[in-house]
Amino acid sequence: MAEYYSSFERGGVRWLLQRVTAVFLIGVLAFHFFLLHFVNHAADITFAGTQARMSQVGYFATMWLFLVTATFHGVNGVYNALVNQGIDGTAKRAVGAVLTLASIALIAQGTRVALAMTDLL
Amino acid sequence: MSETYDRGSVEDFGRWREFRSGMWAWIFHKFTGWVLVGYLFTHIAVLSTATASDPAVYTDTLHGLENLLVVRVLEVGLLAVAVFHILNGVRLLMVDLGLGLDSQDKSFYASLVVTAAITVASVPTFLAGV
Repeated sequence: MAEYYSSFERGGVRWLLQRVTAVFLIGVLAFHFFLLHFVNHAADITFAGTQARMSQVGYFATMWLFLVTATFHGVNGVYNALVNQGIDGTAKRAVGAVLTLASIALIAQGTRVALAMTDLL
Repeated sequence: MSETYDRGSVEDFGRWREFRSGMWAWIFHKFTGWVLVGYLFTHIAVLSTATASDPAVYTDTLHGLENLLVVRVLEVGLLAVAVFHILNGVRLLMVDLGLGLDSQDKSFYASLVVTAAITVASVPTFLAGV
């Protein structure tokens, strides 16, 4: 029996980043949901409205950071869940590599979409 | 030093009866986490296909989705999942900081009650005009 159970290494950077991104996401996820479902009803959203919001530098930066932090928090959470299930060795390294590639792809594509919604470029 | 004990195997039939609030909080947090990360990838994929050179494609895609009752119902579900994950996440941060450990079960029940209240209160907004 191990002394304690955790999918994290003690004192690890991922442990800290998971919590730091959590604090950021608590606010931004609530803001995102509230703005696009309660302030602006989802059924009334148009490209023009989205473009007007995304073309504000502050809003764009918030949404881009939302993409990056949510990707890290979510994908790191999946990795931890799988480590928690007991994968190790080659399987652990393979999962780490696949999830890292998926994260990079999601952030790259999310950035492309975010830029396509603006008139900043 | 924390005490250790033999937890047995989670897969053993009937173990769910032994689960306490902290175990349910762990299960719900994990389940809602999987849903949210799945939604994140789906969300970017849908926005990617909707963001074409013709702005009408984006508007029509969103209006088309929002006209479906099943999408509205799924949105209520997504809100419930997100609110629980946020509230239980705050609870986990408190646990990490060692704050209110004696009340960790009560704060889990509070997360459930507040999630239910917010979800029920949001239903009229989500279902309006479908």
